[in-house]
Amino acid sequence: MRVRVRYSKTGRVRYVSARDLTSVWERALRREGLPIAWSQGFRPHPKVSFPDALPVGWDSTGEYAELTFTEDLEVERDLARLSQALPAGMGILRWLVVPDGAPKLAAMLSHTLWEVELDPGMTVPQSDVPARIERLLAASSAEVIRHRPSGDKVLDVRPAVVALRHAGGPAPRLRAVLSNDGPTIRPSDLVAALDPHDDLPVLRHRRVAQGTGSVDGLVEALSGDHVPIDTSAVAEAA
Amino acid sequence: MRPTTARTAPPVDRQAVRSARATAVPPAQWDRLQRHLDAVRKPAQYVGGEHNQVITRWRDADVRWALCYPDAYEVGQPNQGIQILYEILNERPATLAERAYAPWVDLEQRMRADGLEAFTLEHHHPLWAFDVFAVTLPHELGHTNLLNLLDLGGIPLRSAERTADHPIVLVGGHAAFNPEPLAPFVDAVVAGDGEEVVIEIDDALRAWKHAARDRRSLLRSLVAIEGVYVPGFHEPRFTPDGRLKATVPVEPGAPSLVPKRTVQDLSQWPYPKRQIVPMTETVHERFSVEIFRGCTRGCRFCQAGMITRPVRERTPADVQRMVAEGIANTGFEEVGLLSLSSADHSGIGEIARTLADRYEGTSTSLSLPSTRVDAFNVTLSNELSRNGRRTGLTFAPEAGSERMRAVINKMVSEDDLLRTTEIAFANGWRHVKLYFMIGLPTEEDEDVLAIADLGIKVLELAQQHGRANKVTISVGGFVPKPHTPFQWAAQDPPEQIHRKLELIKRAIREHRNLRLRTNDPDEGVIEGLLARGGRELADVIETAWRKGARFDGWHEMDTLPTWERALAEHGIDLAHAMRERDEHEVFPWDHLDSGLDKQWLWSDWQDALANRELDDCRWIPCYDCGVCPGLDLVHDTGWDGRTLPIVPSGSAGLPKVAARLAS
Repeated sequence: MRVRVRYSKTGRVRYVSARDLTSVWERALRREGLPIAWSQGFRPHPKVSFPDALPVGWDSTGEYAELTFTEDLEVERDLARLSQALPAGMGILRWLVVPDGAPKLAAMLSHTLWEVELDPGMTVPQSDVPARIERLLAASSAEVIRHRPSGDKVLDVRPAVVALRHAGGPAPRLRAVLSNDGPTIRPSDLVAALDPHDDLPVLRHRRVAQGTGSVDGLVEALSGDHVPIDTSAVAEAA
Repeated sequence: MRPTTARTAPPVDRQAVRSARATAVPPAQWDRLQRHLDAVRKPAQYVGGEHNQVITRWRDADVRWALCYPDAYEVGQPNQGIQILYEILNERPATLAERAYAPWVDLEQRMRADGLEAFTLEHHHPLWAFDVFAVTLPHELGHTNLLNLLDLGGIPLRSAERTADHPIVLVGGHAAFNPEPLAPFVDAVVAGDGEEVVIEIDDALRAWKHAARDRRSLLRSLVAIEGVYVPGFHEPRFTPDGRLKATVPVEPGAPSLVPKRTVQDLSQWPYPKRQIVPMTETVHERFSVEIFRGCTRGCRFCQAGMITRPVRERTPADVQRMVAEGIANTGFEEVGLLSLSSADHSGIGEIARTLADRYEGTSTSLSLPSTRVDAFNVTLSNELSRNGRRTGLTFAPEAGSERMRAVINKMVSEDDLLRTTEIAFANGWRHVKLYFMIGLPTEEDEDVLAIADLGIKVLELAQQHGRANKVTISVGGFVPKPHTPFQWAAQDPPEQIHRKLELIKRAIREHRNLRLRTNDPDEGVIEGLLARGGRELADVIETAWRKGARFDGWHEMDTLPTWERALAEHGIDLAHAMRERDEHEVFPWDHLDSGLDKQWLWSDWQDALANRELDDCRWIPCYDCGVCPGLDLVHDTGWDGRTLPIVPSGSAGLPKVAARLAS
């Protein structure tokens, strides 16, 4: 039996790297005695797969995993136990038993809704941010340089941007729907495109949900629920 | 990175926080710490929140411990001692214990700039808020980290500067058997097993806190507990020419000889039960059961074997229960059966077979960190690897030549080693690692070259069973340690160690599948200096730390030049510190009683110099090392009192010294 889950990774546990996350899941599964399948080969590992790694330190309510079990679960009960066994800050939010012949999980996650909390103490006038967003959306390309130890890389952010909004006030934030096709564009790349003068400090990145995107938000992959991009609806969506 | 002394005091009422009935909770520094975590290496080591972490509210406890391993989380987290004491203390109804580790230098820099204080993982409380800052010293290379943690944690560096408003700084662990270099920095020391004594200390603290008296009265009540040493209640006395005459008590009630603590019956202490499960990579990720404590093999270089005597075994039934419960409570994929020489448990065959049967075909793997050189060890490893891979086996002949092995009392012949490794390769093991030391007493270059020879011979056997098979020889520099027969020995200077390593390197150059692994000889210098030093080194440690020495055991940190500057500043000669000691020399650790009779250690040292071996007292008559009668203990020769111990692993001509003693 294969099960897909949407789970959260918030609080302290957001500093656990993608590499270490596998053993966090494995040990929780073992503590609950759930019949997870094992890969064959020299170094067997439990069949828990993650379509996309989240950078260390970023919050998420939109993480996904696919788990393969050797026998059928009593899904509601067993996944509730598994969710309890995960460390504080991690919990299973939705689940879906995968029917035979279903498309790959990654194919169901064509878009991501991101939220970027901006530092309210930023020096740039907040009213300037919408203008920058307008300019970005009006342009046909927006190149940024991503610095990596392996070398700098030039990326065009614009093709990935499906929607982008800003909310001002005491807790200013950006929300964006980014396409996951083509080269991976992170919200940090998006902020770099909006921030040529390095005056837009970010407090926190959050992956809100993944699914199929549109200009108003996205349809979440496992539930089919609409998650709006409209920042006034943030509280309801959360 | 240099420590700054001028840090702003936190705006907190320390007394309100630290009193038994706390009216305030110490600052939780999580929000401030978070601001730095995106910028530091391996941030998950600072966040806590692991499975089996124990959370107790500050006000629900009246005695509060911060347990610390003075190194990075990835090294310190798997430590069994901290884990055991963490559980024992947290099981007490009004006691709270949290954990602290050394921040890596990148975070330290930010903590100093931001005034963030060294913290525990559970609540990110600052260290000064606790009643006890209890530090395990597994070796000497954490001493500068200990000072750094005191400074970062808002605790005055020196005991004399602390008042009733500061924690008691308590140290234990193997290096606590000579705490003298740290004497001014620590308030109390316990050598030996911690299970019982932490409870006695916890009770004493509780009584003292409710009576609310001064710090001296607390130290007096601690020194009254068996095994507690208060360095401030002892003073060294010197001869007119400046040599140590004795370290004597100067406070009524302080014992002249402080005994180590020893737990007789391990079955009363079945810990760990709920081992903490790390969320970031550490050096050992497994559920560990200590199957016995102590070792009487009598290797003359081995401090652990000498200071943890006698042997006390867990019953096979206890081991099996602990393994089953430990796996259920942690979800770990590996179980380690730990001890100083795990194949020596008198019931190990049964233990291994039962566990292997139970976990065959599951994803749980079993490991037996044993380096004993004999066929039985290979059989055990075969049994335990039923589930999986036969990759590497490790053996520790420790020295290359027969003569050298007689000196160190590692009773393994070359035939034993070759036969054992051949059996290993024939059983499908692909890689054999061999541990050796150089810089041993009486060593000549031919003894060093014998290591290379042995490696080459084992490699030839390896290749007969598969062209891809590999052999690794791991070579470390010997560091003489207190409470061992080699405590009188000279330590080789690092230039000699480097030269000897070069000899080995040159000799094996043409053998592609024979690899050499070495430790940095510089680390051995600092370790040796601190291991056998006295109180004269306290200022050196502080100066080295102020000049930036930290993480002295990490090859990333080249701290020996810093130490050399600190030694020069205080006029201490490194060569003198590494010299051979005289028969009648008084040692800085002589007032700490490991149970071993100094006369016996000396005669064993003389036997070493004469290439004479001494067999294990589990199968020869007692040779009076002094431990059992001194501690009023019984030496287990087998957990059930009837089982004969396993057969000795050595060669035929044994026992040698035993015969001499008997005659």
